[in-house]
Amino acid sequence: MDWTALFLSLRLAAWTAVILLPVAVFMGRFLAFRQFGGKGLVEAAVMLPLVLPPTVFGFYMLVAFGRNSPIGDLWQSLFGHQLVFTFEGLVVASVIFNLPFAIQPAQRGFEAIAVEVREAAACCGMSPMRSLWKVELPLAWPGLMTAMVLTFAHTLGEFGIVLMVGGSIPGETRTIAIAIYDRVQGFDDRGAAIMSATLVAISLFTIAITYWLSARVGRRLS
Amino acid sequence: MALEVMARAKGPIALDVAFRVEHGELLALVGHSGSGKTTLLRTIAGLWRPEVARVTVDGTSWLDTAARIDLPTHHRRVGIVFQNYALFPHMTAAQNVMAAMDVADRYEALRILDLVNLHGLGSRKPAQLSGGQQQRVAVARALARKPQALLLDEPFSAVDRATREKLYGEIIALRAHLAMPVVLVTHDMNEAQLLADRMVVIEQGRVVGAGTTAQVMADPEALRAMGIREVAAMLPAVIAEHGPDGLTRLDAATGPLFLPGVEGAPGTQVRVRIMAHEVILSRARPEGLSAQNILAGTVTQIVAGKGPAVTVHVRVGDHEILSRITRRAAEQMALRPGETIHAILKSMSVARDHVACAPDVSVLIKRFQAPICDQF
Amino acid sequence: MTASLSFARRAILVMAAALTVAAGAAHARDEAPVVAAASDLQFALTEIAAAFDAETGMKVRLSFGSTGNFARQIREGAPFEMFMAADESFIADLNSDGFTRNAGDLYALGRVVIMAPNGSTLIPDEHLDNLASMLIAGQITRFAIANPNHAPYGMRAREALITKGIWENLQPVIVLGENVSQAAQFALSGNAEGGIIAYSLALAPEIGPRGSYALIPGDWHEPLRQRMALLGAAGPVAEAFYAYLKKPAARAIMERYGFVLPDGA
Repeated sequence: MDWTALFLSLRLAAWTAVILLPVAVFMGRFLAFRQFGGKGLVEAAVMLPLVLPPTVFGFYMLVAFGRNSPIGDLWQSLFGHQLVFTFEGLVVASVIFNLPFAIQPAQRGFEAIAVEVREAAACCGMSPMRSLWKVELPLAWPGLMTAMVLTFAHTLGEFGIVLMVGGSIPGETRTIAIAIYDRVQGFDDRGAAIMSATLVAISLFTIAITYWLSARVGRRLS
Repeated sequence: MALEVMARAKGPIALDVAFRVEHGELLALVGHSGSGKTTLLRTIAGLWRPEVARVTVDGTSWLDTAARIDLPTHHRRVGIVFQNYALFPHMTAAQNVMAAMDVADRYEALRILDLVNLHGLGSRKPAQLSGGQQQRVAVARALARKPQALLLDEPFSAVDRATREKLYGEIIALRAHLAMPVVLVTHDMNEAQLLADRMVVIEQGRVVGAGTTAQVMADPEALRAMGIREVAAMLPAVIAEHGPDGLTRLDAATGPLFLPGVEGAPGTQVRVRIMAHEVILSRARPEGLSAQNILAGTVTQIVAGKGPAVTVHVRVGDHEILSRITRRAAEQMALRPGETIHAILKSMSVARDHVACAPDVSVLIKRFQAPICDQF
Repeated sequence: MTASLSFARRAILVMAAALTVAAGAAHARDEAPVVAAASDLQFALTEIAAAFDAETGMKVRLSFGSTGNFARQIREGAPFEMFMAADESFIADLNSDGFTRNAGDLYALGRVVIMAPNGSTLIPDEHLDNLASMLIAGQITRFAIANPNHAPYGMRAREALITKGIWENLQPVIVLGENVSQAAQFALSGNAEGGIIAYSLALAPEIGPRGSYALIPGDWHEPLRQRMALLGAAGPVAEAFYAYLKKPAARAIMERYGFVLPDGA
């Protein structure tokens, strides 16, 4: 059992979820409440990582902030080392790759709020911020929780992107998914089996929470 | 605190309307679905902006397209009761009311809930309240905003008839304490006539009739838009006695009225709506008729419309009753203004929901010793 | 506060707290240098690193993969401090582009073997005769080698198969591993009749007992001149490890894994 790798994965998933929470709230709300020309394009762009092969995505990530890219050079000058092949690089790639998992459920959660309820909030004198805090979030929170849980679970399982952008550096970018891969290649079937079982357990737990949340939404709405 | 509204738009809903509501007045916007009345309400609230519009409250511009002023909804002091109430489902009734307050005050919220007859229900969530109760919470919430204008969007359409009758009475009673202009959107002429001081009849975004309730109810042009059968008059009366045979005697200025099954204790003030097409005219006081209600009065005017009917205005005491008869009948009877005439009304012609009772608010005031009146 | 509102608030607070703790939990930046090593060194280098730790108390982190892949990553700024390639041409290229400290040292000559798992119909022999005849008879369903595009052991396997004259015929059933370790994994998983893998892997205790192998003649392919070099970011621990690899203790381990040494020392 590679504990370092497991904790690395959990940390990566946690950071991704934490960073994406405000993104989910504001983007999800924006897309739920506003109509505008080009909205279809924005939604398609958000959905892109869902259909893009991880290696394609990884390739573009390397192009975008690897060595010899403006972002990569900036990072190098600021921190003395490259952004790729570091934990921070994984977080950046993971955040972008998980946008659809965070924004979609959040958007559905906000869409489920009746328009009239939001109008009533405005008529009660609530500014958009206050309306968000007092009315929208309490009603949309199951969607947000689902978004966070899905993001967390998806990041735990991410492989192709992590490998391309992070390499497999122990303690830095060797997540548990990659560690399992390494174990198999190293003919350590027992190690691979233990780590795989752990990941399955975590994933099942995640799915259970998502279903329980959906049930709560269902009960609340009925 | 007068509310002035002007709106013009080409589409998707064509509009060309202007009206004014005074301090303490209730104006009914009447029209069929799609006539544009809800759009006007939303314009006042800031939820919609027509091409050309102006909304002024007590001299302050809330919306002025020419001057590019458009106050966002949450900056307008407007109280609105939506058709489906739009209560916050995750909050209790009291919390819903507090949500509209500048400074959340639970005691104040409970007092307002008492005012709308929801004593003791403050901790219930909307899902645990009946339609009529939810409607009252919506009204309470709108009032808690201390609005400069109160807007009601077909607030009674979602409740059953019995509840509606009760709610009419409560609104009438509440109005005694409301200082702000009130706009009521409805497609129900009965409701409009019972509750409104002034009316604006809208058809396909245009005004086809405007004025005091009495004026509009007597205007065939205006009423053509609503269905000509709606011509009616309003008579105030007091419940005098409930007869053993199911008839109630009401005392009107013109004499007694006998109507079936009016609810309320003797001494209660009521408003009775008398449909013009149910009123028969007779020169001589008839005898041997089944009709229980025979009122003596004077013809004030005879208004002809485009069709075969005319509307005869009969002054009865301080009030007017309308009677719609054929032009032929009017000519045969040689009716002239100033002549004495008898108006005959069948007791069974007056529908139950054409009588609105106002409950006794003085009891509530005494209970809480609070100057509720002054707050509005 | 209504029940569901406080639940929502509580749930969000708990989740936020858990995430923050998880995220902030000491990301102790491991100071041990990372050594990029070709996959054929999988077992040999792990042993050597353990011995290094036992002797000096210093630790290194090992990352195994295909030589070509590592070369690419190094060019992209991967923070390796030492690179042990399976083919010296990669070191030479990196050196001329300034990524290595110097031209490095030859640390071993590698060999390839043909290996078949226990129970396979394929019988490994050094001249690949059985493979050739089974191929003609259509009895080979899968045969694994490392990817010749970026893994030196894959390139050599291909050269050997070309020398034998069966490379073309083998195309429809070839399975490529990302690196020679993965090729070994494919070859011995039971899903293939066998494959050509590194000699060092066949000698590993974890792999040897799983099948049988035969050494392919060294002149059937270009020599596997395996070279190592310190990279630009190398620190003192990496330097120490580099030096350790040339010492007798490390050498002995390498020999046990079949790495022919360039000189008699």
